[in-house]
Amino acid sequence: MHVNPQKIPIHGTCGLLRKIVLETAAPIEDAINVSLKSLHDVWRRYLFLVGLEDENRRLRNENAALNDQINQYREGYLEGVRLRKLLDIKGDVKHRAVVARVIDKDRTALFKTLLIDKGTVEGLRVGLPVLADQGVVGRIIETAWHSSRVLLLIDDNSNIDALIQRSRTQGILQGAGSAGCHLKYISRVEDVRTGDVVLSSGLAGVFPKGLLLGVVSEVSRKEGGLFQKIDVSPAVDFGKLEEVMALVVDAGAKP
Amino acid sequence: MIYYLLLPFLLLLLVIVQSTILDVFTLKWISMEISLIVVIYAGFHLDAFRGSLLSLVLGFFLDCLTSAIFGLYTFLYIVIFYFSLVVAGKVYAEKPAFIASFTGLCTLLEGLTIVLLYRVFFGVDILYAIPKIFIPQAVVLGLLSPLFFHLLQRFEVLLHARDT
Repeated sequence: MHVNPQKIPIHGTCGLLRKIVLETAAPIEDAINVSLKSLHDVWRRYLFLVGLEDENRRLRNENAALNDQINQYREGYLEGVRLRKLLDIKGDVKHRAVVARVIDKDRTALFKTLLIDKGTVEGLRVGLPVLADQGVVGRIIETAWHSSRVLLLIDDNSNIDALIQRSRTQGILQGAGSAGCHLKYISRVEDVRTGDVVLSSGLAGVFPKGLLLGVVSEVSRKEGGLFQKIDVSPAVDFGKLEEVMALVVDAGAKP
Repeated sequence: MIYYLLLPFLLLLLVIVQSTILDVFTLKWISMEISLIVVIYAGFHLDAFRGSLLSLVLGFFLDCLTSAIFGLYTFLYIVIFYFSLVVAGKVYAEKPAFIASFTGLCTLLEGLTIVLLYRVFFGVDILYAIPKIFIPQAVVLGLLSPLFFHLLQRFEVLLHARDT
């Protein structure tokens, strides 16, 4: 036990034996105390590092959560930009438009279609044209209550009445798969140049007149026959489609 | 012979360890007085000469290093040693429960003696120390004593083996 030595007589001088004991014990006690202090410091440092590790882990988690949140906001912003572009087009066309999200893409080489999340409940039906902010995507070939399949204009089965904006020459834009499209039935004598803009002519009654289909990428008159071989690059980048707009054209109405 | 040669160094080491390392692991108001257990062990297992020499040296070292009153622990340890020696001659003192109770009692008696000595010789009243210091210390040392008795027994066997 440790007592309070306030009223205890203090020995001014030490005996020889006591001196020897104190002299012997002092360096050992000092060494032990220094070691203990070092151990204590190491322990405190360890605790500090453990605390730092915890804090680091917490901050990493927080950072990941914030990054996730930023990504969500960025996605929302980009979606807003895309939808605004679609709405700008919607203002230009005279028909009711249904904005839909692309929920699946056909990745086979044979068919070029995509699936959208709107169907007959929203008023969609087979044959309706589908647009993106850059231009024509294709037309609906199949509908369910809440989803529809769209045939892209690059599919081999797609044929759209088209005209060249500059020369007003009319032809049929046929899909050519990954090669894009071919503008067919254009006479060899017609003036068609690379870079000419190709629009929908509105003749077949599916697509309203004046919608952007693509741009002439190559013209060839070398082959024999009556017509030119015209390659057209679609205006739409089908690989990056996320939202589209289906135009609800009244059945029987002239587009 | 080795006993007499090693004794001062080991006891000094014990007192140093007790006043430095063990204090780290205990609460501020309880000191781990392992030296008292050693004195009681000596009373139970050693002869009068060797035991009194051990108690004397241990008490002296403790006085040198920790006591405010020179000779206090020397006196107390000699008294406790002879008390233990007498008790060991009368009862079977190997059961852990008895060792624990006896150590607790000795710790309490040591405390009461200190309180009494302070009161009589210096007129200082430290009665508060009984419930606050000595009773908890008696409980802790009592509980630890069987373990230390076991360790000391093994150490004694080792020492004898080297001596022979």
